[in-house]
Amino acid sequence: MKLKTIFTTGALMAGLSAGAALAEYPERPINMIIPYGAGGATDISARTIAEPLGTAVGKPLVMANVTGAGGATGSVAVQNAAPDGYTMLFARVGSHSVNPAMKATLPYTLDDFRFVTVYEINPVACAVNPSSGIENMDDLIAKVREGGVTYSSSGVGSLLHLAGAMVLREFGIEDPLNQATHIPLKGGGAAATAVLNGTATFICTNSSALASFVANEQLKVILVTTAEPVEGFDAPTAADLGKPALHQLVGWTGIAGPAGLPDDIAQKWGEWMATATQDADFLQKMTERGSVIRLMDPAEANEFIETQYNTFRKLVDDLGMRIEG
Amino acid sequence: MTNRSMQLQLGLGACIAALFLIFVAIPQWVAAPSNIRNIFLSPLFWPYALAGFTALAGLGLVAAGLRDSGDETPLNEASEDPARAWVRLAGMAAIMIVIMYLLPRLGMVWTCMLAFAATAFLVRTRHPIAALICAVAVPLVLYAFFAHVAGVAIPQGTIVRLP
Amino acid sequence: MSFVDSLLAGLALVGNVESFLALFGGVVIGVIGGAIPGMSATMAVALTLPFTFAMQPITGILLLLGVYKGGIFGGSIPAILIKTPGTPASSATILDGYPMAEKGEAGRALGMALWASCTADVISNMALIVFAGWLASFALNFGPPEFFTLILFSLTIIAGVSGDSLLRGALSALLGLLLATIGLDLVYGTNRFTFGDPNMMGGLNFIAVLIGLFAIPEVLAMAWHPTAHLGKTRSIGNKWVTFADYRKSFRSIVRGSMIGVFLGSIPGIGAAPAAFLSYSEARRRSKNKANFGKGEIEGVAASEAGNNGVAGATLIPLLALGVPGDVITAIIIGAFMIHGLQPGPMMFVLNVDIIYGLFMGLIVSSVFLFIVGSAAIRGFKYVADVPKRLLIPTVLVLCIYGVFAVNNNIFDVGVMFVMGWVGYAMMRYHVPAAPFLIAFILGPLLEDNFRQSMLMSGSDWKVLFRGPITWFFWSVTLITVVAIVRAGIKSVRDHSASKMSKS
Repeated sequence: MKLKTIFTTGALMAGLSAGAALAEYPERPINMIIPYGAGGATDISARTIAEPLGTAVGKPLVMANVTGAGGATGSVAVQNAAPDGYTMLFARVGSHSVNPAMKATLPYTLDDFRFVTVYEINPVACAVNPSSGIENMDDLIAKVREGGVTYSSSGVGSLLHLAGAMVLREFGIEDPLNQATHIPLKGGGAAATAVLNGTATFICTNSSALASFVANEQLKVILVTTAEPVEGFDAPTAADLGKPALHQLVGWTGIAGPAGLPDDIAQKWGEWMATATQDADFLQKMTERGSVIRLMDPAEANEFIETQYNTFRKLVDDLGMRIEG
Repeated sequence: MTNRSMQLQLGLGACIAALFLIFVAIPQWVAAPSNIRNIFLSPLFWPYALAGFTALAGLGLVAAGLRDSGDETPLNEASEDPARAWVRLAGMAAIMIVIMYLLPRLGMVWTCMLAFAATAFLVRTRHPIAALICAVAVPLVLYAFFAHVAGVAIPQGTIVRLP
Repeated sequence: MSFVDSLLAGLALVGNVESFLALFGGVVIGVIGGAIPGMSATMAVALTLPFTFAMQPITGILLLLGVYKGGIFGGSIPAILIKTPGTPASSATILDGYPMAEKGEAGRALGMALWASCTADVISNMALIVFAGWLASFALNFGPPEFFTLILFSLTIIAGVSGDSLLRGALSALLGLLLATIGLDLVYGTNRFTFGDPNMMGGLNFIAVLIGLFAIPEVLAMAWHPTAHLGKTRSIGNKWVTFADYRKSFRSIVRGSMIGVFLGSIPGIGAAPAAFLSYSEARRRSKNKANFGKGEIEGVAASEAGNNGVAGATLIPLLALGVPGDVITAIIIGAFMIHGLQPGPMMFVLNVDIIYGLFMGLIVSSVFLFIVGSAAIRGFKYVADVPKRLLIPTVLVLCIYGVFAVNNNIFDVGVMFVMGWVGYAMMRYHVPAAPFLIAFILGPLLEDNFRQSMLMSGSDWKVLFRGPITWFFWSVTLITVVAIVRAGIKSVRDHSASKMSKS
């Protein structure tokens, strides 16, 4: 009986302190999980925003790379964390719109997360080897119809995998899965190298991943999917070619918490992000790398991701790309 | 354990493992899409090939063990008291299980202090005082280094949080 | 700009105190980071990266390169002293380094590791400076079929590190290959032995497996027999490496460096296979073949030459093509990009001063490595004097922290423990651990490259025989396999002959 009283009191006190913690959130360092490896696009983006964001939050942000299974391992770590705002995730297009659209066995869905922001958009570009003789999208499509065209990606369920199929389909290839071959490689660097050494015919990926190869004239860009031209990429935009549906095909980085994240915490994140993205140094570094900074509040971010997910999901279902096993 | 019995045990073990893989594990736990054009591209091909090679290696070991007669010298250094040695091994296994249970609950620092002390006394250290001092100091120093120098989010648990 | 002009421009860039301070500081950070198991050179580089943002480009990159080089050497310190490789690259060093420490020759082994590392470093840097352009274009010929044949050849290393029984070595390798299949399938993304657990979907973490396989069995062996080590000399020992040792191993060091340079210039292989290949070549050619694996100093020299030979050469594809060869160079490429530099052929035209500045910094880095390494050996040697029954719990705790830090995942600690029991069982059954490790690294590469070859060619077998590179590797593989089989038959015959003569 006495034991039970102690337990109840303890639980009450724990509850009280939890309530107090909410009131003055954050009272200790916040764990920020990056579901991809060091040096990758997500990692660099996350560590760049962490500087001004840490100042805005007022408490240290502890950055932790949890890699594996195309971002799933790190995402699950946040999905299962307590929704107290002390464990947050840097979500990426691959882990939170392509993967859920493509993988039936994924241990999470979009409903398991609450997005507090999307702050960065990365244009997607398609490139070929300059020695391949392909000058523009028409040449590529003609080649696909001949057969034997391959495209490289950083793995099954990556943005690159979906992007290749989506671009071909928009340009009139009815069955891109069988008319062109997808070659998955380990990581974005290897995927670009595959086009460089002729293993694959073309690649569609974030413009920042291609920038140095394009500047060095090792790869030739034939399409960017944004409406506006991308600096340093001398290629027609999807709008120029009359394919506005491809505008959906962009990379992004955002911040999410577990599904039960309270409103006041989400709101605080919105305020912090508004301050952090004003930072001149941050803006300069990100735009230099070809990213577009576009801050979305929690509602807008959720809608953006939902729309992209539904677009991808429809494509995946139409083409039969969904992975069931 | 002599060389011969070891070869035989290993070989039989490998054969059983291979059979288990081929008939139970691979069909059950390796998923493959139904529309594969080429068998060499199937996710099943490589595991089946490996299971086959394992069976071959197992048969080879059995054959080598049967050929190998004589030479009755035991292979491993005998422990002074096998019964107690087994108890200590079981103790080590228990420590590892407890570590895995406590890590998310108690945090890494406190768990490692307990693990250090338990392991040191399990192997009957001659320096009990030094062992206790190290048990407290080593996890703390490592925590300070990993958390504050390397910036790793060392699990803290829910009870006592370190700065 | 002429060569002399470029050289002078480079000198102007690096000829200041900050550059050398950064380089020196980098080597120090690297050696310490590499010496802490689980920290590894990769993590040390990743942790240093944010500090370079505010620096001049050349200073920042030199800092990272210093960390990289220091880390690859630093990994050999715990490999020799506590049988726990500080970085995956130093796992081959364990094979002879730890037995030497057990014999009371830790100082000699560490000294040789340092000398071999520095020599390999110099050779690797020279190769980078002289052959960068040529090797880079050669490396670009490596598509999946070439990789497949190269890795097939590399798997023959297993015979060299199998110890006294080839069959047990093969069994160990198969176990490694099987465990490496855990995770998501590369081509179809389906689950293989994941049991629906998201932690298993990423596959078993390599460093967790590595540390579990080598360090934890020592803990368990200690639990089995706590007093086994008493009476054996296990201290740093008075014996230091001599010039005669160095001269004796010089051929192996040079050969190992060449192997390192070759494998390093091809993106995607990494330092650990280079160290193992170098080791097995040294063993194959040595007169003391029987002593390898029991504390042969030439084995330490060959392994360390192999992994440090990679360090300079991985910069070849990075600078000449803009292609990262491994995780560490992928992080270093990030540093280039943050400073607005785009590695690739154009960099040799646009930023030739930076290139030459880097070259000069690299040459100096070998000297710094020697200085810092000597100091580190003196500092760490006391580890060998710690009573073993205090050292073992410390190793256990260190491994828990280190393995967690690699991927911030408690699951990996569990993987380490389970692999520890696997490793202990293998130890009891005299199944060598090195083939397991090589297979665990190379197995997925072999499978992936085979399937990529099939994909790119539309399932045409002929792609595996395209071009001279594949033919070269097919023939050397064939020659090696024939040699292994002949040696096996000979040993069986000798064995039965000796038995006949006995009876």
